[in-house]
Amino acid sequence: MSHEAAQGLPEGILAHHFSSLERQNEAMRLGMWLFLATEILLFAGLFTGYAVYRFQFPLAFAECSRHLEIALGTLNTIVLITSSFTVALAIHFARTDRRRAAVICLVLTIGFALAFLGIKAVEYTAHFHERSLPGKYYAFEGVKILGAAMFFTMYFLMTGLHGVHVVAGMSVLSWLLWRTLQGRYSSRYYTGLEMGGLYWHLVDLVWIFLYPLLYLI
Amino acid sequence: MAESATQHQHETHDQHSAVPYVVVWIALLVFTAVTYLTGIQHLGKWALAIALAIACTKSALVALIFMHLRESSGATRLVFVTSLVFVALLLFFTVSDVATRFTLATPAGAPFGTERSQPEGLLEHEMPAEE
Amino acid sequence: MRLSEADSARLAGALPQAPTYLQDGTTVLSWLNTRDHKRVGVMFLASVIFFFFIGGIFALALRMKLLQPGPYLIDAVSYNRLFTLHGVVMIFLFLIPSIPSAFGNFVLPLMIGARDVAFPRLNLASFYLYLAGAAITIWGMLQGGADTGWTFYTPYSSTTPTQVLPILLGVFVVGFSSILTGLNFIVTVHTLRAPGMTWMRIPLFVWGIYATSIIQILATPVLGITVLIVAVERFAGFGMFDPARGGDPVLFQHMFWFYSHPAVYIMILPAMGVISETVSAFSRKNTFGYKAIAMSSLGIAFVGFFTWGHHMFVAGQSTFNAGAFGILSMFVGVFTAIKVFNWVGTMYRGAIAFKTPFAYICGFLYFIVFGGMTGVALATTSLDIHWHDTYFVVAHFHFIMVGASVMGFLAALHYWFPKMFGKTYPEGWGLVAASLIILGFNATFIPQFLLGNYGMPRRYYQYPEHFQALHVASTAGGTLLGFGFLIILIYLTIALIWGQRSESNPWGSKGFEWLSASPPPTHNFDELPTITQMPHDYRTHEPPGVLHVA
Repeated sequence: MSHEAAQGLPEGILAHHFSSLERQNEAMRLGMWLFLATEILLFAGLFTGYAVYRFQFPLAFAECSRHLEIALGTLNTIVLITSSFTVALAIHFARTDRRRAAVICLVLTIGFALAFLGIKAVEYTAHFHERSLPGKYYAFEGVKILGAAMFFTMYFLMTGLHGVHVVAGMSVLSWLLWRTLQGRYSSRYYTGLEMGGLYWHLVDLVWIFLYPLLYLI
Repeated sequence: MAESATQHQHETHDQHSAVPYVVVWIALLVFTAVTYLTGIQHLGKWALAIALAIACTKSALVALIFMHLRESSGATRLVFVTSLVFVALLLFFTVSDVATRFTLATPAGAPFGTERSQPEGLLEHEMPAEE
Repeated sequence: MRLSEADSARLAGALPQAPTYLQDGTTVLSWLNTRDHKRVGVMFLASVIFFFFIGGIFALALRMKLLQPGPYLIDAVSYNRLFTLHGVVMIFLFLIPSIPSAFGNFVLPLMIGARDVAFPRLNLASFYLYLAGAAITIWGMLQGGADTGWTFYTPYSSTTPTQVLPILLGVFVVGFSSILTGLNFIVTVHTLRAPGMTWMRIPLFVWGIYATSIIQILATPVLGITVLIVAVERFAGFGMFDPARGGDPVLFQHMFWFYSHPAVYIMILPAMGVISETVSAFSRKNTFGYKAIAMSSLGIAFVGFFTWGHHMFVAGQSTFNAGAFGILSMFVGVFTAIKVFNWVGTMYRGAIAFKTPFAYICGFLYFIVFGGMTGVALATTSLDIHWHDTYFVVAHFHFIMVGASVMGFLAALHYWFPKMFGKTYPEGWGLVAASLIILGFNATFIPQFLLGNYGMPRRYYQYPEHFQALHVASTAGGTLLGFGFLIILIYLTIALIWGQRSESNPWGSKGFEWLSASPPPTHNFDELPTITQMPHDYRTHEPPGVLHVA
């Protein structure tokens, strides 16, 4: 399109209704942040439920929290923080035209995401074995006070919804990895990668709150 | 004009540095260690405040540096801040309701009760000694 | 305001018109796969009108049953399902997407001088999500529907044997569509305004839609998660809202109304935007109090979030919360009053053209004041205890949501009909239908105010015999209302197919959306216009039909 050629851009980047690439990038960024705002409010519903029930059942929540594997929770925190770091690096390398390094960082990020899910799976398996499960499935011998089942309801809802976001983020990152391998991103244009990165950071942000609220009461 | 703008962007990107990312990463790990160490002490009523303060600091770092909010336009910053304000709003009025509600009386023999009115709870077990 | 030479020459008829968006590809596929905001808007318009009639048929069925105090026509179980479906269809499939998705999509980019919305593909995706959500909801209806009421209160909604799941899922998906539309509009307003369009030159309809979009972004996700949790309750028994497991059903109501109260403003703010536009256009006078109207839209969007607890005065909410929410709710009245004052101020000493849209403006003003005042009364905690869950509440929110919102929708439909399709509707029939609707509406809902005040509870299948006269009156009004809508459907369909070709700007309006041809070409403008003045500036004296083209 002449529109793009006039600005010295490769084809297929600038949409016809934007006057410049900067304007379009700004639109993408704003759109992504609005989307992240909706994600934050989606989680807000669960955090509200958590707050109400922790207020109503402080003993049960403290007691149940101590039956979670703090070591695994902490490890997962470190894994996710590091993955957030590597994805930030991936964007940095892409915008400084170091494609190989960007690819490596993306692969690492996806690896960390898988590791996170793996560790979470270990924890879930343990919960299934000791029957520390939500609502009507709760039959854990360790804690037998009112509200214990509610702790695990919140635990599973929150980590479950977060897990779904990890999977979604991983799929986005894999797609971005493929596009990076194709050489779509460079100092000229890396907005797609930046958007994927923002999403992944949000997944990290949510976990930063989930970790102390669930594991460290 | 557009040509020179892209050119300008190009130059700034070459100078783009990864040092802040490394610093933030290390800071996040340190904060994780701090929240872990304070968390396992079970500091009573301060525990939640400390944990949330650390979590907020960590997320501020992620948002400002990793997510480039520091260099973003005012509109994007406003979006993020607004979403947090409304999270606070939902939390505030919902928790304030529960906190200021009458504790409903539980009839004798009811299968459940609130912790305050019926400390034995669901399964005829003793209460743990600690708060 | 400066249009490019080619654009202004086309508008003045000196150059041949570019092919309109309607002519640019006429196959079904060219519509289904379009990126054009105008086509997406038209497809939304057709869908919401379809669902409006479906919801209307449910309403009429309910009213027919209520002719008799005892069992009549339909059984109690079907009655419960019908009022649920009436609510779900009218709110989620009609009111919420009605003005923003249909008219917002069509005129918002035209008004701010953009060639499209920021994310055209996302816009189309939003339409398909809406269709998908609607399809799931319909499927749920065909499976037997739900009987929870549109509010899905737990624990009933997590235990009733009816088909709540597909309806919840449908609502969730439609919510997604609503979020994407809102997101698109906010980004469009921020990044695609024509040169010279400062924030204080944005047309008031765009301000209304912008405020609506903020609510859609901030509130809809909370409905999403609430609905998901109820779904999990149903198929997995997590017990988050189940009192038998220590759960708190009032928590559900908090989360539900955190969305559903602001959702009322999703329904009314765009209608207010329409009124702000049309009141200027048909009074041929500059908008009185532009800034006050624009800022009060944001004010309503903001304050609307601080009022949700007034739905829960008798639900076991704490006295502190009830008091706080009662007071905060009244602030909405302040912002609405500012708007009403300015609309009336715009009309004052204007050269009023009493066309069909103006009839709806008058209807709107009456309904919003009446509905709003009863709303302030209901926000008074002590009064609400008497009126809660009676027909008084039903009549109140119908005054706002049907009265005011639908008046806005119909005003927009008539005002922009020539813009969208380049055809003229029959003015006489328009006025006949408008009077029928305004009359029928009053006849339907004023008896319901009285019924509610006498203690008739909402959603009841049977009632004491001495209420029958008022119920019959209400049903008679409802029938009149139905006829009114039917007349509009018929004459607009005829106008669409056989109607006379309209001029480019039949109203002589100085709104920015009339800067392009009617119907507009695919990309709206050859070159972006430059905005040099406020919208609806009638101080200049060009003949109607030609805008101030420098």
